[in-house]
Amino acid sequence: MDDPPPVTTDEFRRLCEFLYRRTGMVFKEDKRYYVERRIRERIRATGSTSFTSYFARLRSDFRGEAEKLVNAFTVNETFFYREDHQLRCLTTDLLAKRIAAKPRGDPLLIWSVPCATGEEPYSIAIWLLEHWPEVDAYDVEIVGSDIDTQVLEVAREGIFGKRALIRLSPELIAKYFVPIDENSWRIIPELRQSVRFSSANLMDTAEMRAHGRFDVIFCRNVLIYFDESSRRIAAENLYENLVPGGYICLGHTESMSRISPLFEVCRFSDAIVYQRPLEGP
Amino acid sequence: MPLIRREPANKMEPAGAVRQSAAVLRSGDVHERWQAARSLAAEPEAAGILGEALATEHDARVREAIFTSLIRLGSDESVEAVIPHLRSDDPALRTAALDALREMINTVRPRLPALLADPDPDIRLLCCDLVRELSAADATELLCGVLERDPEPNVCGAAIDVLAELGTPKALPALQKCAARYRDQGFLTFAIKLAAERIACQDTSS
Amino acid sequence: MDKRILIIDDASLVRLYYRDALQRAGYSVDEAMNGLEALEKLLVTPADLLLVDINMPKMDGLTFLKSLRRQPMPLAATPAIVVSTEAAPQDVEAARRAGGNFYLVKPLTQDTLTRYVGLCCGIKS
Repeated sequence: MDDPPPVTTDEFRRLCEFLYRRTGMVFKEDKRYYVERRIRERIRATGSTSFTSYFARLRSDFRGEAEKLVNAFTVNETFFYREDHQLRCLTTDLLAKRIAAKPRGDPLLIWSVPCATGEEPYSIAIWLLEHWPEVDAYDVEIVGSDIDTQVLEVAREGIFGKRALIRLSPELIAKYFVPIDENSWRIIPELRQSVRFSSANLMDTAEMRAHGRFDVIFCRNVLIYFDESSRRIAAENLYENLVPGGYICLGHTESMSRISPLFEVCRFSDAIVYQRPLEGP
Repeated sequence: MPLIRREPANKMEPAGAVRQSAAVLRSGDVHERWQAARSLAAEPEAAGILGEALATEHDARVREAIFTSLIRLGSDESVEAVIPHLRSDDPALRTAALDALREMINTVRPRLPALLADPDPDIRLLCCDLVRELSAADATELLCGVLERDPEPNVCGAAIDVLAELGTPKALPALQKCAARYRDQGFLTFAIKLAAERIACQDTSS
Repeated sequence: MDKRILIIDDASLVRLYYRDALQRAGYSVDEAMNGLEALEKLLVTPADLLLVDINMPKMDGLTFLKSLRRQPMPLAATPAIVVSTEAAPQDVEAARRAGGNFYLVKPLTQDTLTRYVGLCCGIKS
């Protein structure tokens, strides 16, 4: 089939509106080329003859097209230091705020959910060691959870390939990993022990509640896959899993639906995050 | 043979649990009301109680939990409990009610023709947006009806906005008639032209 | 001129209509589909003037205005014209109490819109 024609401004607009309504994903003008390329890929992949017929297919979610389109926008491989501006926000702003709010000596609790094969929680650990001067002064607990028990096993093993480490400098790799063969490295034992892995389903209130309350939660690039009703339940659960004043970070294109009225939007220099208010249920 | 209980002796009767949560929902503190609202998601008979609580609940988070539980129940009673709040003076409550109905669209659907013909133009206007959740064919049919008979330009405007997104070529005649009716209205003229252009694109594609 | 207007309305065609008029008048225009999206955009990029619809999903216009007025300065002081289908005195009053500065009733002509925006931005029409 010929290359699909370029997407018009009006078509781009309509698609972004639709995506935002369905998933909460937001795309700014500077992402136009990125979005357009993916739309055209999907038009080609579905054998649609025009944007209009593709859009109709998308709207009716024919053959799960909505999820396929969302997949096209999320990087399905995870890697260390992904969206590091949020890690920067953590050590520049969030932890300081949490420390000021807590009794001295209380641990700081950070949750990565879903954690998949562990890149995110291990990244948090490495980042804290590298960028947080006070890392020795405070007791930090990092928990990584996922619905998939198989990926949790992989996470506990802590073995990663070249692609996962692509953002890490050779110095960092040498410091925190032990090479196994030319294509795999294993996280050093001290770091493996610093992250606790557990099973959790965002939709399961009892299971979520059992994890207790956290100061900071990273819940990135998963709520966009949920329907609106499921997002409500997840938002309620995540609210309960935050201490009053605690923060939740989503993926950088996500605007959390159902965020209001539960959470407040907070702007820091490196990221926009959401906060559970100090007062309230 | 001793009596074998199927359930633990201390399990509350469903009606008792609902009554207790209903009481907490009326008079507990904000945390208790929030939990009570969430717990009622498991009780099918609670839709009416949840709906009543909406009338007096002022905390936005508890209200949100009430709506979430109504959606989870997703029954006819849930929809009936939510619809009256479309008429609220409080825009936050109105839009929360609309958001909830959107998520129960299959149950709301049989009521849509009546809602789109409601004596209150504000109700008709808000409910046009619910039609966005339907198939293109169904949405077109319902909204053409609105365009043909609604005397309020703002209601027509809301209908045209939805047709611009998913209207089929069957909407073109109704759009043209509406354009003739509102020739002096800048926004409607603009909106109809754009909606018609987008729909016309469909004719040229498969 | 480089005055930046943020249009906050869930109806795509309404936003396009305002955008059409305002861009022709030389303003820089951005859009948001509801109060939450507006707030998040404003936290990153301020605007000189807001056009705020009332009935929007996820976060209505009055809730948005109340939240806006609680933000740090200068964001909290951003002027806002409420544009609504409601015309009753109590709706106007509610908008004023929530933090709206002006109130216009839909349907709005492009002419009226441009004139009011011009007044609010201090530009002679």
